[in-house]
Amino acid sequence: MTGAARRFRLALAPGAEPADEPRDVELGSDGEIVARIDGETVVVRGRDGIDRTAIIGISRRMATGVVRAEVVVDGWRFELDVEDADRATLRRRATRAVDADPASGPAEIRAIISGRVAAVRVTAGDPVEAGQTLLVVEAMKMQNELRAARAGTVERVAVGEGDTIDTGDLLVVVR
Amino acid sequence: MTAVAPVSLRKDGADDRPFERVLIANRGEIAVRIIRACRELGIESVAVHSDADVHAAHVRMADVAVRLGPAPPAESYLRGDAIVAAARDTGADAIHPGYGFLAERAAFARAVEEAGIVFVGPSSATIAALGDKLAARRSATAAGVAVVPGTLEPAAVDRADAVDAIVEEATRIGFPLLVKAAAGGGGRGMRRVASALELPGALAAASAEASSTFGDATVYLELEILPARHIEVQLLGDREGTIVALGERDCSLQRRHQKLLEESPAPGLAADERRELHATAIRAARAAGLENAATAEFLFDADRRFWFLEVNTRLQVEHGVTELVADVDIVREQLFIAAGRPLSNRMRTAADRAAAPERHAIQIRLSAEDPARDFAPTPGRIGRWQMPAGPGIRVDTAMTAGDRIPPDYDPLIAKILVVDADRRSAIGRLGRALDETVVTGIQTTLPFHRAIVADPGFREGALSIDWVDEHWAELLRPARAVALDAASLAAADHLAGGSAKRGESASARPATPASVARSAWVQAGRIAARRRWPR
Repeated sequence: MTGAARRFRLALAPGAEPADEPRDVELGSDGEIVARIDGETVVVRGRDGIDRTAIIGISRRMATGVVRAEVVVDGWRFELDVEDADRATLRRRATRAVDADPASGPAEIRAIISGRVAAVRVTAGDPVEAGQTLLVVEAMKMQNELRAARAGTVERVAVGEGDTIDTGDLLVVVR
Repeated sequence: MTAVAPVSLRKDGADDRPFERVLIANRGEIAVRIIRACRELGIESVAVHSDADVHAAHVRMADVAVRLGPAPPAESYLRGDAIVAAARDTGADAIHPGYGFLAERAAFARAVEEAGIVFVGPSSATIAALGDKLAARRSATAAGVAVVPGTLEPAAVDRADAVDAIVEEATRIGFPLLVKAAAGGGGRGMRRVASALELPGALAAASAEASSTFGDATVYLELEILPARHIEVQLLGDREGTIVALGERDCSLQRRHQKLLEESPAPGLAADERRELHATAIRAARAAGLENAATAEFLFDADRRFWFLEVNTRLQVEHGVTELVADVDIVREQLFIAAGRPLSNRMRTAADRAAAPERHAIQIRLSAEDPARDFAPTPGRIGRWQMPAGPGIRVDTAMTAGDRIPPDYDPLIAKILVVDADRRSAIGRLGRALDETVVTGIQTTLPFHRAIVADPGFREGALSIDWVDEHWAELLRPARAVALDAASLAAADHLAGGSAKRGESASARPATPASVARSAWVQAGRIAARRRWPR
């Protein structure tokens, strides 16, 4: 690959918050790798000229061929889905037809933290406003309110008060 | 004799240990901290644990371990009966409660006393007097100490007929105000109320959280003083009635009343202000007959007035800051005081010097929380784990690589402390320590602490308890964005198998020799330190 820069498509793994648009990165022009310390640590010089140490944690290739890599920089931890940009474009074209409009259709609300359901504030059939509290989850001694991202009708409540939940568990479906 | 070789503290070889065997009724870093103190004194340690902590550090380090029950605190670390039984079964002659859990439950201390076991802390009567924040407010008022304006009696919760009365009371105090748990601490069971409309909901929520965390639903009202600094005084008292102040700590950097960084001495206090503060704290403690370790908390307002908040009758999370500045071991002293010894000369000398400290210490609380998601808890499994070391660094933790952080307990995973000659050099040392810190597997609060250390306001000592609410959102985005840029490049390079070396790319930058072969780490580290931490 002499002479030609390689472009990569990167996106934060689904569920990441705050979300970020997928981006293309070109090695060598968007900043540079100035040192490789070992297989897991590289020093990146950003466009601001400051060197940052990036730690590669766990990385794995998923069924789609996309590599999901955990990278920690300045204490910020990211799970990044990375693939060759050309390949990403092809794959995107192939799957676009089945992409659903995210603003309609049922929204599955899943647990982003594990803990215990302290209170259930809605039942199936309830209309909900955006920002309305659906559940209260107690984790690490704090009560965290889970609110509806948009208005709709509660289709299903998958948990009950007192249930122990794990990250990723289905909690509520809002249509 | 015991299984552990006892350390003889007297030259004649007589056993001078305060106790033979101490049960630690806690988990995590504080249990480890107390076990260390026991080991140094030749005291055997007994750990207690829940099912979630079978492989935890405090269980591994203790001489004996006793299972309490399932993971939820109510079924394990809050089971006072099971803990007293464990102490009896293992022949422990004292119980150290640490902080949190049962540390400030008078009923637990009483049960320990009645079982003929020494409770390392104040007597149950003192805990009842000082640990009940409402009673503490009353006794401090009686001792002539200025308390934060608010109520002195419990607020009625969930009683329709009492709503009018409590709203009237709240209006008299003024908004915004805080609903606080009488048994509270660390921001649990606390709610901010901006108007009378929010009051009933806040009362119910705070009360429910207080009940589940502390087993006591009593709440009260207190005026919110802003801007203000949170300054607290470390106190130690012995059975003879001697009470000393070992210095103060500034814990103004908080989020939702959860402390994030603590330092000592408090920046910018004049010597006479410091002396007056220490004297006031001793007066508040003496009013309730303090024994052993306690902390008197104050708000320091814009007019440089101190307002008494509460007295915590226990070892604080941030006690290490005072240990580093005063060069003492508070936990060790606690054990001797509990065994009936008078305050050591070392403590008395340290107290004499507390008004003119010659060192500066800072602690950050590294937590399993995501500073980009409103500090939501991030329980999970730790991947890599690298803590700072070297001159002037102390790390108190129970974690290591591969450990699982259970969702059932406090998110604190490590306390990183630094000490140096003055505040400026301590901040430089803290920046260096944070550069060395690596945790993968979970998001931690590390980026938040890095941002604080680099912040000009913090470096000048301009602190307030609302600093995080005011500044964090604006610091968060750019800091995370540049990190994401760098992470993206690193991930792309990783996918490319590390083959996209400089010079092979399309960019026509002047080629400097690749530094990989020659001490790249040092070079990059120096550049980073010079550019990122203002001197």
